Amino acid sequence: MSDLKITRLHKRYGLVPAVRGIDLDVPSGEFTVLVGPSGCGKSTLLRMIAGLEEISEGTIEIGGRVVNHVRPRDRDIAMVFQNYALYPYMNVFENIAFGLRARKTPQDEIQKRVKRAAEMLAITGLLDRLPRQLSGGQRQRVAIGRAIVRNAKLFLFDEPLSNLDAQLRDEMRSEIKRLHQELGTTMIYVTHDQIEAMTLADRIVLLKDGLIEQAGTPLDLYERPATRFVAGFLGSPKMNFIPADYVRDGSGAAVKFADGTALALPRGPEGNRPVVFGIRPQHFSRDPGSLSGQAARVRATVELLQPTGSRAFITFPLGGKPIMAELASHDVQGPGESLDLYMDIGRAVLIDPETGRVL
Amino acid sequence: MTVTTIDSATASRAPDRNFKYWVIAPAIFLLLLVGLFPLVYSLIISFQHLTMTEADTSFVGLKNYAHLFVDTRLWESLLHTVIITVIALPLELVFGMAMAQLFLERMPGRQIFVSLLMLPVVISPIVAGATWRLLLDNRYGPINQIIGWFAGHPMTLLWNVNPNLVYPAIIFCEIWQWTPFMFLILLAALSNVDKSLTEAAEIDGAGYWRVFFKIVLPSIWPVMAIALLIRGLDLVRIFDIIWSLTAGGPGTMTETISIYTYVQGFSQFETSYTAAIAFLVIALLTVIVTWAIRRMGLAK
Repeated sequence: MSDLKITRLHKRYGLVPAVRGIDLDVPSGEFTVLVGPSGCGKSTLLRMIAGLEEISEGTIEIGGRVVNHVRPRDRDIAMVFQNYALYPYMNVFENIAFGLRARKTPQDEIQKRVKRAAEMLAITGLLDRLPRQLSGGQRQRVAIGRAIVRNAKLFLFDEPLSNLDAQLRDEMRSEIKRLHQELGTTMIYVTHDQIEAMTLADRIVLLKDGLIEQAGTPLDLYERPATRFVAGFLGSPKMNFIPADYVRDGSGAAVKFADGTALALPRGPEGNRPVVFGIRPQHFSRDPGSLSGQAARVRATVELLQPTGSRAFITFPLGGKPIMAELASHDVQGPGESLDLYMDIGRAVLIDPETGRVL
Repeated sequence: MTVTTIDSATASRAPDRNFKYWVIAPAIFLLLLVGLFPLVYSLIISFQHLTMTEADTSFVGLKNYAHLFVDTRLWESLLHTVIITVIALPLELVFGMAMAQLFLERMPGRQIFVSLLMLPVVISPIVAGATWRLLLDNRYGPINQIIGWFAGHPMTLLWNVNPNLVYPAIIFCEIWQWTPFMFLILLAALSNVDKSLTEAAEIDGAGYWRVFFKIVLPSIWPVMAIALLIRGLDLVRIFDIIWSLTAGGPGTMTETISIYTYVQGFSQFETSYTAAIAFLVIALLTVIVTWAIRRMGLAK
């Protein structure tokens, strides 16, 4: 059974389209992350699910009921806002209890449920504080508490971690993941941060210009991107792209770069054509044995070295383009060094330069 | 070494401290001259028996103040002031709030409408009053004529003479002139309310009134309280509109405290007694404003 079903959804602001025909089916209990660059329509989509934006066209169903004209309060949803949206004149207890009071829950039931939510989020000691007396992370917990106390069918998160510093963000990310495992509620989570998307999601829905670019499990999107955009958006540092000529003859498939370098490919489509060759920095190594598939050797002259502790990012030219590779720190000494690198050539992608689709 | 450092630091700071007083001294002096001196001087006058025609500067003690308590016309004028204030202020608030809510939504021509609505505020109250007197005039005014159309026969409503109509007329003009002020301040306050708060409350299950009273009102309260205070004080001092509409009449029926004070001072020429009235008003207002500021939590 699905908790959320979106059919051919459109949103236009005047003549400007923000969402341009989205179909989405979220199974019960799934953690779905809507991710994409700013302006891709992910927040608009979430707000339409919440009932905060009018729907221009299409339908939204929550729990099998079309909710296009249902008020937000009657949609059985809970939402966590980017800026927390805590009621500044109420203490933490009242903030969490607000939704229960609005729905005329009996007093002892309110006490019980607020207490349980507070325990779950470890904010029991803060219940009589005002929001302005709390730190960012504590506010975030209260905002989540306000959502979970109501046992809504659908949880919506609108970039909930973007106002936190890096360390707190990691902490709250695990917290949200844990909550999802404990509660088992369907959650829709909006973020522009691909790491958040990868770590939290059961399924990622990657949006671009108001359309779904690709949807699937994080690993699906990472390993089998459908377009250049998806390939470039997920993964850090991002995938390297090199314009190349694809050649297929009797001896097999190969790509030739502008500087004359040629790489043999284990497989490839029919026909000769210009392509964009994509390879992730993580798919380089100094040891061919550590690669899962067929290795292709390239000669790299290190131009730039960025150590990050256990790993190091090096930049070197390949096919006339600066290419980034991720190596173990001790594998590389410094700029100017010449190395033999092995590329996991089976994991490279070939992209049609015109349509941007992966071949 | 340490000791000398501290010494030189204190030595160089000492003249500094006096210097700042010298810098602000002229401003303080000027303020005392234009603010405190007239206050003290009128306090002195209120203990004398001074009129415009007689320069009798002998002191009469509390005679003027004692007379305040038996002056029924004074207390009636205070009552008139209170009546106008307690009727007009809530109405201005409610109308201003309703209009602000309407104009909160984006709509075409919103800015033009807001500017047009502000027109009454920029008109001088005495001019507004005079204009309304003409509009309400029983022979030449269009208002009676329009009411006549609806009634089906000519109406002679004496808006500024008929005891049953003077208060509605005054309060109507007052509301007409000052609701836009309330509207503008509330509009500014309302558009500053964090939209995600009301959205969160809506999703939480709160209806329109719960959102308004629990979320919106607390957010705009500091601004709204100040608007109420400003309008409240203005209403207590109301003069121009009434002066040009009825001049306090018929009889003394619409005489407010400001009008009565003016009449005592500048047509009865009771200078000392007028000073005593002024101090009574100051005392009353101080008590009310202090109470209001504390009550509204504005001092925090």
